[in-house]
Amino acid sequence: MHNSQPQTNLFSTIIWLLLIALTIATFSIGEVDLSGKNTMLMLLVIAMIKSQMVANYFMGLHRTRLLWRGIMFGYFVIVGGSIALAYLMGLK
Amino acid sequence: MGSPSITGYPVKPLNMQQLNDKDDLPGDFAIWIFIFAEMLAFGVLFVAYAFTRAKNVELFNESQLTLSRTSGAINTLVLITSSYFVVRGVAAIKRGLSKQCAHWLTGAFLLGGVFASIKLVEFNTKFAADITMSTNNFYMFYLSLTFFHFMHVLMGMAILACIIVKARRGGYSPQDHTGVETGASFWHMVDFLWIILFPLVYIIR
Repeated sequence: MHNSQPQTNLFSTIIWLLLIALTIATFSIGEVDLSGKNTMLMLLVIAMIKSQMVANYFMGLHRTRLLWRGIMFGYFVIVGGSIALAYLMGLK
Repeated sequence: MGSPSITGYPVKPLNMQQLNDKDDLPGDFAIWIFIFAEMLAFGVLFVAYAFTRAKNVELFNESQLTLSRTSGAINTLVLITSSYFVVRGVAAIKRGLSKQCAHWLTGAFLLGGVFASIKLVEFNTKFAADITMSTNNFYMFYLSLTFFHFMHVLMGMAILACIIVKARRGGYSPQDHTGVETGASFWHMVDFLWIILFPLVYIIR
């Protein structure tokens, strides 16, 4: 069982609202039909911020040892980095 | 100082409390093995999608335009909100509020149903237009990735349903709520993966 202090409901609500705002930003980028390297990087950065917010504050990994947070962050770096690399290859 | 072992060297007794301290992952450790394995499987699919796209950029961009970005965005908002409800459910049980925990988790379960319904409409639209996995590489990835994820949503809903029933019966307490945290971790993983899937398949072009 996870014994640490539960985060406050207010904090969880703020994280939720930030996730909603970032999702609307992602959708808006799609709706205005932006494309290209910079747009792709922006979308990946937004996805990285969102995924780390879910991992750290919804899953509660911010209270665990660095190893677990490192795995979740490393996962995004490897997967997101590979997606970016593939996208750049497609530009050529 | 520990007691001597059969090797003659003192052995420090294993402190179970230390294993359950704040450094631990929330929930049952076994679910985390499953979570990491599922993330790996999705990660391979995400990267395979990206590299296949690199060889067929025009085809992928054209096919992507047939997807409903609005449905994808609504489903993202729905999953994020359901994850938030699960967070509130876990917070409630930590304060010993079983009924409140069950209410929050029921909300998350219902939002899971909304997600699944929207996804089914999307699948139905594609199948009605004679689009299948063999139509082209984009649809092969789109249908397999989203269907694989859809199955995880259904599995998460089944887990949430079991936890809700137990919570309603008062089966969890502030001292013993590993089951709630285990189910919550799985549900958040479903959300985590969709957060990558949505921009990758619906938006990036």
